Amino acid sequence: MNYGKRIFLWIVLFWIGSAQVFAEPFVQGGPIGSQTSDGYDALGPVVEQPIEFPHNTHAGRMQINCMYCHTYARRSNVSGIPRLDKCMGCHNLIEGVKDRPRIKKLFEYWENKQPIPWKKVHDLPDFVRFNHERHIQRFYFQEKRPVREVCGYCHGDIASMTTARRVKALSMGWCVSCHQKDHLEKAGSTVTSHGPNDCWLCHK
Amino acid sequence: MSLSNLIQNWNSFRTRRPYEGQYDDAPYKWAMVIDLDACIGCNACTVACYAENNLPVVGKERFGKGQAMHWIRIERYWGEGDAMTSEFPDHGAQYLPMLCQQCEAAPCEPVCPVGATHHSPDGLNTQVYNRCVGSRYCSANCPYKVRYFNWWNYPDRAWPNPLELQLNPDVTVRSKGVMEKCTFCMQRLRAGMDKAKTEGRILADGEVLTACAQACPTSAITFGNLADKKSKVARMWKNQQVDLAKDSQEKSEEGIRGYRILEELNTYPSIVYLERVRNLEA
Repeated sequence: MNYGKRIFLWIVLFWIGSAQVFAEPFVQGGPIGSQTSDGYDALGPVVEQPIEFPHNTHAGRMQINCMYCHTYARRSNVSGIPRLDKCMGCHNLIEGVKDRPRIKKLFEYWENKQPIPWKKVHDLPDFVRFNHERHIQRFYFQEKRPVREVCGYCHGDIASMTTARRVKALSMGWCVSCHQKDHLEKAGSTVTSHGPNDCWLCHK
Repeated sequence: MSLSNLIQNWNSFRTRRPYEGQYDDAPYKWAMVIDLDACIGCNACTVACYAENNLPVVGKERFGKGQAMHWIRIERYWGEGDAMTSEFPDHGAQYLPMLCQQCEAAPCEPVCPVGATHHSPDGLNTQVYNRCVGSRYCSANCPYKVRYFNWWNYPDRAWPNPLELQLNPDVTVRSKGVMEKCTFCMQRLRAGMDKAKTEGRILADGEVLTACAQACPTSAITFGNLADKKSKVARMWKNQQVDLAKDSQEKSEEGIRGYRILEELNTYPSIVYLERVRNLEA
């Protein structure tokens, strides 16, 4: 076999090998319920909510802070799904939209004294601990970044969706990719540091 | 780990641990003192650990085969002095609570083929269940025998409905084929450390306790932050003249009781035991 042929063979072998080794199992982003070619549910299962809650109206057009409803994000591990009386606190007083079908459904739940069975969209595995409080305290309260940006790191631009859907992979490699980046320690400073990378920070 | 990261941190990988002043700049180094004179062998620590850390009760038969999952166990030793031959051999019973010693130079860490166990920045020997493939090499290499292997899928039978509701949501329920061990109640420490960090401080002494230390009726177990020189545990280590980075401790006088188990193996444990003292003539 001459030299040129051998090099060509190596290039072909390397190309085949690399395609298998470096095949990316996760698809970041994509339409609701999208799957990878090997059937992996990269973005979680398709979730249909009992009421098609318009995040785009509340967080987008009305500019309501995410933490007005998801109150626990700033002081606990979980951000929390708001209780029905949080919805009613405002909607009792908003006469203009009471005849809309979604609001009628809301009042139905309220009159039947039933909680709305919201379904979880951003569901992490049971062996993972994610602390909303630390992320919100650091980026929103200390660095005063806009709330849409801070929540959007993991949740995408919810303010442009109706019901929330997963647009980020939420896999370990995806978390670490952000923790490895050099972030500014304070707004306006030049000192950078990256997120902690201890196993037991997230694995429990 | 990327190559640039490896090159950047080469020195810290090659440094022999532990060394003097290793935790001087660190906020936390978790350590313990167990007073064997105070321990009455009541097993409250073991029960507390079972409740806190989702440990399955394996039953008598499997216990006999050495498959019990107790992260902290009470070891019994008999026959102090001539007690064994006397009318009351129980008089000579000695108890020793044995749990993971969180060694600074842990024999279990370098042998893991998949890196499921590693040393955390606050001086704990961690175990990541997802990464563990069940080679059991770490357990074979542990001189204290405090690593426990899931030979069976215990969650199926250990908590029949509705007992699964008692499980601690902050701790993973381990499945068949993984190794597990004492974590110094990491879920409690993590919650405390996160809260303290938000408030811009470090944890105060005694703010977070492990389940065993909290349950001990005689306060035989003292838990705390060794990096904080004013903490109770750091003062006890100092008073007992035990140095984390030394493998043999020189005592200035007789009667200082602090020692670390199997120190001659150079494991540098994070737990100091206070020797039991008995007046056998009494």
